[in-house]
Amino acid sequence: MKKIICMLLILLSTRVWASDPAIDFVDHLADQILTDVVTSDKTKEEKESLFNKAFTEAVDLKGVGQFVLGTAWKKATETERADFLQAFTDLTVKTWANRFDAYSGQEIVFQGSRNAERGQLYVDSVIQDKQPVEVIWRLRPSKDSYKIVDIIIEDVSMVSTYRNDYRSFLQQNDNSVPKLTEELHRKSLEIGSNSKNN
Amino acid sequence: MRKNFFVLFFCCVGILTGCATKPTDPEELKAYEEVNDPWEPMNRSVHAFNQGADKYVLKPVATGYRKVVPSFFRDAVTSFFDNLAQPVHFANALLQGQSKDAGAVLGRFAVNSTFGFFGLFDVASEAGIPNPENDFGQTLAKWGWKGDGGPFVMLPVLGPSNVRDGIGTGVDSLAHPLGWALWNEQELHYGLLAVDGVNARERALDLTDDLQKSSTDYYATLRSMSRQNRKKKINAVLGEKESGEKPDYEVDFSDVEWED
Repeated sequence: MKKIICMLLILLSTRVWASDPAIDFVDHLADQILTDVVTSDKTKEEKESLFNKAFTEAVDLKGVGQFVLGTAWKKATETERADFLQAFTDLTVKTWANRFDAYSGQEIVFQGSRNAERGQLYVDSVIQDKQPVEVIWRLRPSKDSYKIVDIIIEDVSMVSTYRNDYRSFLQQNDNSVPKLTEELHRKSLEIGSNSKNN
Repeated sequence: MRKNFFVLFFCCVGILTGCATKPTDPEELKAYEEVNDPWEPMNRSVHAFNQGADKYVLKPVATGYRKVVPSFFRDAVTSFFDNLAQPVHFANALLQGQSKDAGAVLGRFAVNSTFGFFGLFDVASEAGIPNPENDFGQTLAKWGWKGDGGPFVMLPVLGPSNVRDGIGTGVDSLAHPLGWALWNEQELHYGLLAVDGVNARERALDLTDDLQKSSTDYYATLRSMSRQNRKKKINAVLGEKESGEKPDYEVDFSDVEWED
């Protein structure tokens, strides 16, 4: 009898784990980035291009772009929006690619998923370090998978921080989206040239 | 003397720059209230002063310190000052009625002061003892000053804060045992504070470089991040949110038109 209960428990726990596709989605993405980008011996350019592909596929860039631009998104033309999204993606990819240099073997442990508003989900995780870092992934269902709409590190929402940053820039620059796009391009080039010099 | 300088500095900057103008557009007004920074012109002046002091003094010294001093020694400096601050964290944990935190802080202090050789080695963290770092800003929140802690304040040298937590920082620094132990040794006291400051700046070098490079308005980014992160520390002492209540980090995506 005991054996049967044990087997049942094992089966159930496996099912619970396997039936959380949101965790699987983030776990697979983190694993892919870790193997192909962070710990691989590829060149910086190759790593950046692989990360760019993974990032643009996993993140709902159009939705995030709308949010971070706030009211300026509604007033912007289609071309301005597309140019902004491209510059935003370039800068974000370059910034994150630079952050991977600091990686020194920390592990990411997933703790579960829970509901957010509008049918979206949160996946809770912790990066194990001397001071553990809480990372929450906000996902929205898309087709038969998910898209990342926010990453929250120690309760700091990435999209909220970008929105505040860009709102302030726009306020000081005649609410001009092209000026913001130009600034993002300039920042990307700066990061690119700095990382080449290092 | 130093205190007088800061009061004078604040008054001059305040008179010269004044307050931010409240917008009339509803969307703009919502954003204005969200950031809660009515003294923005003054805060930006203090930020500019901080940036100058950092560029020409703090950052070069911290960078040199990183180059010259090996990382194990820097870790020991961090642990030493962290351990010295534990009595302040302990008092705050008691004032907040956080018995679990008080126990952890006491445990840390006992373990690190003995096995950690006067706090030079953080054996408590290795043993899995948490470091809750209870501060007086949290104590004020626990006593009833909830919410975002009043308007945003950019403190000279110390950086982003708000009225409640700025007062908290002041009280915590007055209560710090180093000041009392070295009451008659002010030169040594200020020397140690300088080492603590340089060490803390060194630890933040990578983060601040990263943020400066990636943000279009560094001031707005610091303001936003510090406010969000501070909410986490405040919520830690106010207790978990009730189930079903929206977490503070949940942004409102209602304006976004999602595409599949």
